[in-house]
Amino acid sequence: MKRKHIYVGILAAGIATTGITVSCNKELETTNQNRPTTATYFGTASEIEAGTNSIYSAWKGFNLVAREWFFIHDLRSDDMASGGSQLEAPRRQILLGVVDPSNPVLNSVWNALYVVIQRANTVLDAAPRATDNTAVVNRCVAEAKFLRGWAYYELASQWGSVPIYTKGAISPTDTQPKSPAAAVFAQAVKDLQESAAALPGKSGTTAGRATKAAAYAMLGRTLMQTGDYAGAKAALLNITTTGADGYALTDRYLDNFEEETEFNKESILEVVFFDKGNNNFNWGSGSGDDPNAELTTVRNQEYNPVAWRNLIPSDRVLNEYENTLTGATKNDPRYGYSIYQSGDTYNKGLSVITDGDQGGDASKLRGNTVKAGWRKFTLIYKESKEAAGFHPGGNNQRIIRYAEVLLMLAECEIEAGTLPQAVTYLNQIRARASVAMPAYPTAQFPVTTKADVVKALLHEKTVELAGEEIRNVDILRWRKKGYFATEPLSWYTAAKEFLPIPQSEIDNNPKLQ
Amino acid sequence: MQYYLLVKKMKIYLVLIGAISFLHAAASAKPMAIKVLENVKKAIPVTGVVTDDSGKALAGVSVKVKGTGIGQVTDEQGRFRINAPSANSVLVISYVGFATQEIPLNGLTELTVQLKQAASGALNEVVVVGYGSQRRATVTGAISSVSAATVTALPVAGIDQALQGRVAGLNVTNNGSPGSAPLVTIRGISSVSFASDPLYVVDGFPLTTGLQQYDAKDIERVDVLKDASTAAIYGSRATNGVIIVTTKKGSRNGNLNVTFDSYAGVQSPIKKLDLLNTQQYLQYATNLGVIGSIDRFKSANFNAPIYAGASQTYAQTNTDWQDEYFIKNALLTGGNIGLSGGNEVSRFHTSAGYFKQNGIAQALNFERLNYRINSDHIISKVFTFGQNLYTSVSHQRYDPTLTANRTAIVNLIRMPPYIPVYDPTKIGGFQGPITSFDGSDPINPIETALIGDNRINSFNLLGSAYLDVNILSSLKFRSTFGVNYLNNSTYNYTPIFFDGGTGVSTTAPVSYRRQSTLVKLFTQQLNYDKTFDKHHVGATAVFETQSLNYNNQIETGNQPTNLIKTLTGASNINADNSVETNFLVSYVGRINYDYAGKYLFQASIRRDGLSIWAPGKKYANFPAASIGWKLDQEDFLKSSKTISELKLRASYGLTGINPNSLGNYPYLAPVQANGAIFPYVGSDNRPNSSFVNGITNANLEWEKTKQLNVGVDFGVLNNKFTLTAEFFKRQTDNLMLVVPTANSIGYLGTGTLDNVGGMRNTGVELQLGYHKNTGDFKYDITGLISAIRNKVLFLNSPSASIPSGSDPDLGGGDAFTNTRAGESVQYFYGWITDGIFQNAAQVASSPIQSNAAPGDIKFKDLSGPNGVPDGVIDNFDRTKLGSFLPNFTYSLNYSASYKNFDASVFFQGVQGNEILNTPRIIMEGMSRLFNAGTNVLNAWTPSNTNTDMPRATTGDLNRNARISSRWIEDGSYLRLKNVILGYTLPTTTLTSLSGSTIKRLRVFVSSTNLLTFTGYKGYDPEIGSKNGTLTNGVDFGQYPSARSFQFGIQAGF
Repeated sequence: MKRKHIYVGILAAGIATTGITVSCNKELETTNQNRPTTATYFGTASEIEAGTNSIYSAWKGFNLVAREWFFIHDLRSDDMASGGSQLEAPRRQILLGVVDPSNPVLNSVWNALYVVIQRANTVLDAAPRATDNTAVVNRCVAEAKFLRGWAYYELASQWGSVPIYTKGAISPTDTQPKSPAAAVFAQAVKDLQESAAALPGKSGTTAGRATKAAAYAMLGRTLMQTGDYAGAKAALLNITTTGADGYALTDRYLDNFEEETEFNKESILEVVFFDKGNNNFNWGSGSGDDPNAELTTVRNQEYNPVAWRNLIPSDRVLNEYENTLTGATKNDPRYGYSIYQSGDTYNKGLSVITDGDQGGDASKLRGNTVKAGWRKFTLIYKESKEAAGFHPGGNNQRIIRYAEVLLMLAECEIEAGTLPQAVTYLNQIRARASVAMPAYPTAQFPVTTKADVVKALLHEKTVELAGEEIRNVDILRWRKKGYFATEPLSWYTAAKEFLPIPQSEIDNNPKLQ
Repeated sequence: MQYYLLVKKMKIYLVLIGAISFLHAAASAKPMAIKVLENVKKAIPVTGVVTDDSGKALAGVSVKVKGTGIGQVTDEQGRFRINAPSANSVLVISYVGFATQEIPLNGLTELTVQLKQAASGALNEVVVVGYGSQRRATVTGAISSVSAATVTALPVAGIDQALQGRVAGLNVTNNGSPGSAPLVTIRGISSVSFASDPLYVVDGFPLTTGLQQYDAKDIERVDVLKDASTAAIYGSRATNGVIIVTTKKGSRNGNLNVTFDSYAGVQSPIKKLDLLNTQQYLQYATNLGVIGSIDRFKSANFNAPIYAGASQTYAQTNTDWQDEYFIKNALLTGGNIGLSGGNEVSRFHTSAGYFKQNGIAQALNFERLNYRINSDHIISKVFTFGQNLYTSVSHQRYDPTLTANRTAIVNLIRMPPYIPVYDPTKIGGFQGPITSFDGSDPINPIETALIGDNRINSFNLLGSAYLDVNILSSLKFRSTFGVNYLNNSTYNYTPIFFDGGTGVSTTAPVSYRRQSTLVKLFTQQLNYDKTFDKHHVGATAVFETQSLNYNNQIETGNQPTNLIKTLTGASNINADNSVETNFLVSYVGRINYDYAGKYLFQASIRRDGLSIWAPGKKYANFPAASIGWKLDQEDFLKSSKTISELKLRASYGLTGINPNSLGNYPYLAPVQANGAIFPYVGSDNRPNSSFVNGITNANLEWEKTKQLNVGVDFGVLNNKFTLTAEFFKRQTDNLMLVVPTANSIGYLGTGTLDNVGGMRNTGVELQLGYHKNTGDFKYDITGLISAIRNKVLFLNSPSASIPSGSDPDLGGGDAFTNTRAGESVQYFYGWITDGIFQNAAQVASSPIQSNAAPGDIKFKDLSGPNGVPDGVIDNFDRTKLGSFLPNFTYSLNYSASYKNFDASVFFQGVQGNEILNTPRIIMEGMSRLFNAGTNVLNAWTPSNTNTDMPRATTGDLNRNARISSRWIEDGSYLRLKNVILGYTLPTTTLTSLSGSTIKRLRVFVSSTNLLTFTGYKGYDPEIGSKNGTLTNGVDFGQYPSARSFQFGIQAGF
């Protein structure tokens, strides 16, 4: 009996030892040591700044500017044609106006625009908590509003009526119903106005961040889209042409598309890409996440005339440039700056592009069959066909440059009835040193009537800005204004004016109906 | 707080100590009670000794008087003393691993009993349950047991694969190349958002991984706990069932027993797809209307040499990419040397094993070396010390593209046949198509497989030590401490190469990733087992903690040269390290009671606290109870010559989802601090970016499943015929769902976990056996059949749906599956085809399909925005196209022996399931120029209208390739999984050949997957899942099962 008591003693001691080893409830309170929570983070200016950086980071992801954003714009404009059978089916479908709500390209852009909005909202919601450096926080708030405004401008112009979020969602049921396109544009206007008032000029901030000029340029774009040309003109005129924060046309047109001349005096808004030299692209995260992510864009690859050549300039674009063969007094040099055609030299002048280099579909130029591809933003101006076989690049995507501001001002003046001022703006574009096209009026482009000036504007905007993801939104506005004699998009019907809301959004947002 | 905790802790100790004291007192009081009964009944004392077949004494053998609760256990010398109620009583003598004997006393009072090693059938006598073992006769839940012989029959790497088709309700699906774990589910899919992996317990240690690292040759037995009453003892982790693996112990017979097993064989692909050759490819490009714009086909280019200096031209090249990618006669070999033995004090089992499997496709293999030592030592009557130690190292070479979107199989289908595999003039030595020049851009799959190096080296250590304290003969305490350490090192390397087309790397990326997991287990366990007359009472109390520490390190960089394959001197070096932990604390109690072996009752409860939940949600209780009635012990059946076993049983209980797949912080959507970068130009060159990518849900709690099980065990003619039937219902009312957040909320639609769904699995399982154990010709037939019906009862809202899985290449981005209330989980989702438009009039008179033309597929108009057909084909017309869930699964195992020959045949099948054949979308989708199946040449044209293949048109404007009934196929199959023919050399021959060196020698030949009967058109109807549980049954172009032939020997020394 006594022995048995000993065992019980041993047993109890054993259990007690275990109990001491394990102070259970404390051990249960584990936290994620690698990740802070929203309750504690975003409480300082530097954390608010990190939050703001993440908006830019999503902006550069391949769901947006590094890939699908330019596809959406280009596939829905008449700037582009298919390069051949290598163009993926979902992209070809958009190009041909067959857009299904499950189309993955449109889904990617939709999703990523709302990532931009959500990240901006995270910054805006948390900013009042960060009181340690008001200057930084205020700048971040202005940048967040700018990026949110940009996203709503994109949504309203591509989808029309969409949900508006001005606060971060706390619960999965915090979805919003559709607002009319006018309300979405109004939200964009509000965000851009507030950011324009608070953002610094380019001399007062890091290149790549939003500036006051960028906000006014975006505001001008947005107001024009709403029909407020007077407001747009006022906003655009806030973009200064003098001093450290001033903008002007570069003498060399090509500076706007080459890697060595990023952030030049003409550049108002760029998305920054960076080539680590390892030939990789961040295919893994559509919103560009991962601290070690690749920072390249695949744009130069997608349109590269000697590699993927997925989209090429449309025949309309090729034939738009003034040429002596069609009655102009001078060949527009922007043709060769924008487009490679067989016989052109590339690779720093070391190689000549041939029909054989350019696999896929051919184009019709003034009745002749030619092989042509995009030069804008591609890198073969300085690299060989072999090096360009697969090479996502670090060439920044220019979103807004001063030439576009001038062309927008010209349009505002046309709508205000001040045609001579409009022609003055157009002639500034033509007078660029490396372009030096004769001023309007020319034999082909008289500028007597409003219709004349509109025609000159449409011409000038194509030859200046073709393939820069602007035409598609212009078409929406000009179609309503009756600028077109014939509908530019073969597939257009009123029902196809906007992209359909993605199926996954319809499936998961019960307030849409 | 601290004070409170201390008090709480002390309370627990007091209760435990109190319980122990009570049991102690009860135990002390007992001999008196028995004495009284003895006096009343004039019991006859019987003594005896139990030995094994070599005459060594067996300790711990159960000796019971049949039909009563009277029982004893033999002591260390194998002796027992029991009081039989009458001179004609029958003693039932049973022991794990030995055949149970029934000995009528017929007046005898002294016995010598020799137990014989059990044949596999007798395994049923004792089953291993959580924290103990139980006699099969008194089991009231659903447990299936698998013997060592069965587990080792198939030449597979892991124990999990070996269980395929062996247990009713246990479903094993191969899922990948050698070294990849299969998908294992017990009684169907229990969770929508998470894998339905069961909990694996090896020698009492609940693993956080699968069984891929464990050598089947070490296995004594496997017990599968399927229902709540048996599994709920593992409470919070038991919803998907528990698979308990028990490894071998030595015997106590004083002899050394040496075994040697070895086999080697070859594996080959089973099937080949019909793909276009070069001539047919040109024809197809013509039909698509793109041949004219493809420069490759211009005469000068097509008749050019395939590379400078080659005599062969592209036109003359006809590469069969399947022959190049798949490998015939790939090696498969394994071996194991085991040594075991022991005496009255100590026993041990030790073994070393080797397994190697090459893939039937390029660059895949798996190799494992493992070593085990198990031993236990009786220190005194009171203390026994034991330990299990297992280590394994494995090396897997894998192809990362097999789990990527465009798998190697997708690429081998798409590769143009006129491109050669190799090109010595290129860096790397391969050739690939040039995107715009060839009008096509697949990636050379042989290049992808062979150019780089992708390996996972794993080290696994599982060790535990325990001390048993026999406080009383009826009360035992066990304290266990165990450690499981896992280290996975993944190495990925791609050299600098350029194949002239799509395949290029200008630097050599190098990546090392090390993931180490340390799990520590402490278990304190008290077992009580006592018989009072006809009352048998058992009780178990357990206090257990299990902690996990996970450390993840990754280093990546780029080498500017192919001469260095490590990170030394690399550029762009990045490193990351993260740490995660979790902690589980459990209090377990279980009582068993049976009256006269007839009326059985069991109840258990487990209270678990787990760190992964939000504060306030950490603890949950998991109770279960079961009853059984052994009718064969009733007087009216006892004497039956026909019915030898009849038991009815029922159980009900609550279990939780296995948290292994939940991660360590499932409720939390933390800030991804510095989780991205944006490269501003300026002084702060690459500032960090922080963001949130989800919504935190602090209310998330354990997903609990209510499980009902009703079963019957039936045996006739001394269990020559056996039948076990089970009916079960498993219902979860707080199903964890990733509630899809609308994409506009801004988290890419990733969703938030919440307990908002309900799902039910109802099923029946039937196991039939016929056992002929006598005569020269012995055989054993076992048939299993199980059927499960799944229904999602409700989701977060009545109209909610969870469309899952999509791929732009596979149907153009449509979801593959959908989940809605009222239907089975993740049914295939899409349009229904309705023939081909033969002319413009048909297009015009049919529901609107914008862009349709003659030759396009007509789809059915099933619904519209108002729920009725609206004359427009759009997303509203998508419907349920089928389910990956079979109507039933079945298997048939026949094993026979005649004199020295033995044979076994094992069929396994599933019936009534569907498969989404996405490789066929690649072969027949015709949305872009790629190589394709030969069927595309039968595409509709105005002159070829009698076909089901739509017109060939680039861009696929009618979206003929969309997810539709066109791609859904019947996935039923019947497979001759295994055939074995063995011959055991007669002892006389062995003696004359080797003297007495070799005691036993068996040679065998076997074949795996010899025959498959199926209508499925893809490589293999056995489809795993790539992206999680909602894409089951989607064939993404996975690595297919191989057919193999083996030769092996098994020797004993």
